[in-house]
Amino acid sequence: MVGEIHPFRPPPPGGRGESKRRLAAVLAADVVGYSRLMGVDEEGTLARLKRIRRELVDPTIAEHGGRLIKNTGDGALVEFESPVEAVRCAIVVQQGMLARNASLPREDWIQFRVGINLGDIIIDDDGDIYGDGVNIAARLEAIAEPGGINISGGVYEQIKNKLVCGYQSLGDRKVKNITDPVPIYRVLADLASVRKSHRPRGMLAAAAVAVLCGIAAAGWYFWPAHAPQQEATTAAPAIPTPSPPAISTPSPPAAEVAKPAIHEPEMVALKGGQAVIGNNDEASERPVRRMTVAPFVLGKYPVTVAQWNDCAAAKGCSFTASSDPDAPVTNVSWNDTQDYIRWLSRATNRTYRLPSEAEWEYAARGGTDTKWWWGNQLKPGVANCKGCGEPYDPRQPEKVGRFLPNPLGLYDMGGGVDQWVADCSHKDYRGAPADAAAWTEGDCSSHVLRGGSWKSDPGYLRPSSRDQYDTSVRYVTHGFRVARSY
Amino acid sequence: MISRRLLLASSALVLPLRALAGPTPAPKEASLYFIAPRDGQKLKSPVTCRFGLRGMGVTHAGDSYANSGHHHLFIDVSEPLDPDDTIPSDRNHLHFGAGQTETQIELAPGPHTLQLVLGDANHVPFNPPVLSKKIKIIVVK
Repeated sequence: MVGEIHPFRPPPPGGRGESKRRLAAVLAADVVGYSRLMGVDEEGTLARLKRIRRELVDPTIAEHGGRLIKNTGDGALVEFESPVEAVRCAIVVQQGMLARNASLPREDWIQFRVGINLGDIIIDDDGDIYGDGVNIAARLEAIAEPGGINISGGVYEQIKNKLVCGYQSLGDRKVKNITDPVPIYRVLADLASVRKSHRPRGMLAAAAVAVLCGIAAAGWYFWPAHAPQQEATTAAPAIPTPSPPAISTPSPPAAEVAKPAIHEPEMVALKGGQAVIGNNDEASERPVRRMTVAPFVLGKYPVTVAQWNDCAAAKGCSFTASSDPDAPVTNVSWNDTQDYIRWLSRATNRTYRLPSEAEWEYAARGGTDTKWWWGNQLKPGVANCKGCGEPYDPRQPEKVGRFLPNPLGLYDMGGGVDQWVADCSHKDYRGAPADAAAWTEGDCSSHVLRGGSWKSDPGYLRPSSRDQYDTSVRYVTHGFRVARSY
Repeated sequence: MISRRLLLASSALVLPLRALAGPTPAPKEASLYFIAPRDGQKLKSPVTCRFGLRGMGVTHAGDSYANSGHHHLFIDVSEPLDPDDTIPSDRNHLHFGAGQTETQIELAPGPHTLQLVLGDANHVPFNPPVLSKKIKIIVVK
């Protein structure tokens, strides 16, 4: 269904010179499960879609100054001069659909996915449009939730102070056939943005949403509206654009001297080799994979408060941690780890990254095949967890390096803090890369955590144990360690 | 008792502006419940759980807007809730800090309990705690 409205043809060769190129907000929408709906009731679905277009979609597009460029039956492309109007139009349509679906059984719902991008478009003589600006809108739409609206970073920058909405950052995503990752935000619509349209339909939709939010319609969010600017910015902290990898920046030898010294993480070189990753006893750890892990370098300890605060002082990280300088930094989201890594790479001229799941597990096993790296029985002094023995403080993790290192000389590989890795979360290893590379395809709204924390029971400290958590959300037991390729 | 009331009243004024550690007030009429599954329902895994909330709003963890929080799903949890501590995060305590209002979980055949707990910006239960009824379901093969 998504595929039917794109990929778009490339611009006609030679026509580039006289084609009209302009900046526009492009809205791409499609009907979720179109084929299924048509399969169940073709005539009924078509009639309902027509009615929805006539009563809701077309008038709303017109009201907001949009121009329908392409209609494919199950999807549409609409051009707006203003990103604010494009998003407002999408909200009204989505909330109108919510109201229409409310009285129907789930299987009869008609839902739209919407993506909005601000970019250069090219219009040819037939009125068709082309360009990356259009392709990105279509990709944003393809990864939107049913009933949801995804917008690009460019749209977000234009509307964040103008529309009273929440915006949830989904991070920077690679988009098919587009070279640079695109920052993506999800619009969390609220009442006030609809009220602002001052139209009877808007008010009706608003009333319907008020009721629906009360009974928690899936995928929509609602909170009392106040302090719009502050809300918009706190709800979605701006994601710094990815810096060029440190390796490509020319290193001016003399000018670097003035840089203040930083607490660069201590690293251990690992030679890699054959590894068994996974465990057949746990559904999420199956199937077991044998692979060759290439040599890499891994942090000897989790990143500490002192190391993190260098980044915060340089404004590379968004908060200052207040616990002991030698404690592992905690309460970091996966997105926060990327801020630190960007800053550290730039500050040191080395390309840091998170380890992959497979690298982390290989390193945590340290060549052993027992339940934990130290054996099959618990004993004191090897790890920091609930039930691992002294020293133990239920309120906070111990300082890094207080427990025995594993056979590879790595500390705190299990217990202490849960450690973010580079992989997006997947429920098991079916379809995982055959090598030790990070698995970065699929739903990256959550990422994998390894090792368990000081609050975990010992079972979560097994080298193969996997956990996952929302990419953008902070939690008190979450930390990380950094890696580099050889 | 009086001093505790005073403390709550003053924190209610400050909370919309900044996140504070400790209990965040919730309106008494707030109600948290399962839209699905139903209490006592027999069903197959994976189980779709949809979360209902009345009298409060759902927001992203980390955001401290008044009268809003995010969902946590407790699966087969028998220990009593510690109302002052961060809600644990493990296989029995699932977090929905991005503001999700539904999920699919895989459960082994047999009886299970499910309960929703609303958490504040720092994943700590509200004061008073906003909890759903603990429902029982039976997963069949």
